[in-house]
Amino acid sequence: MARPKSAEAAGRLAIRVDGRSLLRLAAGFLAGLGVWLLFAAPYERAMAAAGEALLRAFEKPPVTRLEASRGEVIVDRADFPEASPRPGLPAGDLHFNFVLLCALFAMTPRPLSPGNFGRFWAAAALLWVVHVLALVVQIESVYATRLGPWSEAHYGSLARNLWAGSFHFYQIAGRFAAPFVLWWALGRPQAPPHGKS
Amino acid sequence: MKTEAAASGRRRSLGFLARFLGLLVVFYFLVAWRPVNDAVIVPFTAAVARVSSGILAVLGEGTHVEGTEIRSDRFAVNIENGCNGVETALLFGSAVLAFPAPWKKRLIGLLLGLVAIQIVNLVRVVSLFWIGAHRPSLFSSSHTVLWQSVVVLCGVLLFLLWATWGTGRRAAVERHGAAKER
Repeated sequence: MARPKSAEAAGRLAIRVDGRSLLRLAAGFLAGLGVWLLFAAPYERAMAAAGEALLRAFEKPPVTRLEASRGEVIVDRADFPEASPRPGLPAGDLHFNFVLLCALFAMTPRPLSPGNFGRFWAAAALLWVVHVLALVVQIESVYATRLGPWSEAHYGSLARNLWAGSFHFYQIAGRFAAPFVLWWALGRPQAPPHGKS
Repeated sequence: MKTEAAASGRRRSLGFLARFLGLLVVFYFLVAWRPVNDAVIVPFTAAVARVSSGILAVLGEGTHVEGTEIRSDRFAVNIENGCNGVETALLFGSAVLAFPAPWKKRLIGLLLGLVAIQIVNLVRVVSLFWIGAHRPSLFSSSHTVLWQSVVVLCGVLLFLLWATWGTGRRAAVERHGAAKER
């Protein structure tokens, strides 16, 4: 069976890792860091609101309330005892990979071209969806594994492993892979196809 | 012709992403599996801690190691999964194996890339310990945003360098061949 040859496949990458692309990458990294630092708080509020809506859509009765505050997403439930502490989840760990996305999109030869800019915002919107899903998975893993007898009463062994494993996958691999996959699918410069029209 | 070539390029690109994500999941399960974690990942992380502590000792930090933890009079840090370079190695290894290339090129890429990632990661651990000991207020942001991003970007750059390695020379040979045919 014929497999694509390396030269052909690699030639299609149409990206050179040279001094200029590294400079653009560094500039994109710093710009992304600046945007991330400036807009982290409103971003976390939007993420918490969407995560809350998604969680409540599958709860009967809907009880979860999320509040973004000082870099954390505070998890509250209507059925938590008044005096019990509310878990606070570090939000930055979920969404700092936005900086990676900025750096990768900046590496292309014309990073500020309307086409690249449009694709970047499409990728950023998809990354936001990934962040909301990761938040939901993290909260489910808290419910499934960190609330003692309550967790055991409401989540079976399979569900506990599934939620905890899914969030661990995001922590170890998913949060780094997401910007790379989005850049590869939407932002990576491609060589013009061979052949004449 | 152009549309066909573009569609074929898209198929190859999606094929790469599917293989990459599949390998990432497989490798994740492998390193997260308790016997592998206990027999390979934990001793490897302890080795990272020992080498980092050795470098820090040379820099005059007076550190010692307990398992995966580096300690000094001023600061202590425990190296966990996510800080041992394994996460970037998973990403890099999955990308190299998913990319269509001869096995020899893949093996050379894996060997050199994984060594380079570990060198960058050692710089991360040493510098983070130094920041924790001397500029503790900067530790959290340096740990989460700065160094994690830098190490992952290094992994991506190494993959791109590897994937484009030799393509310029090959393109020149192809151009030369085409000129001779004309």
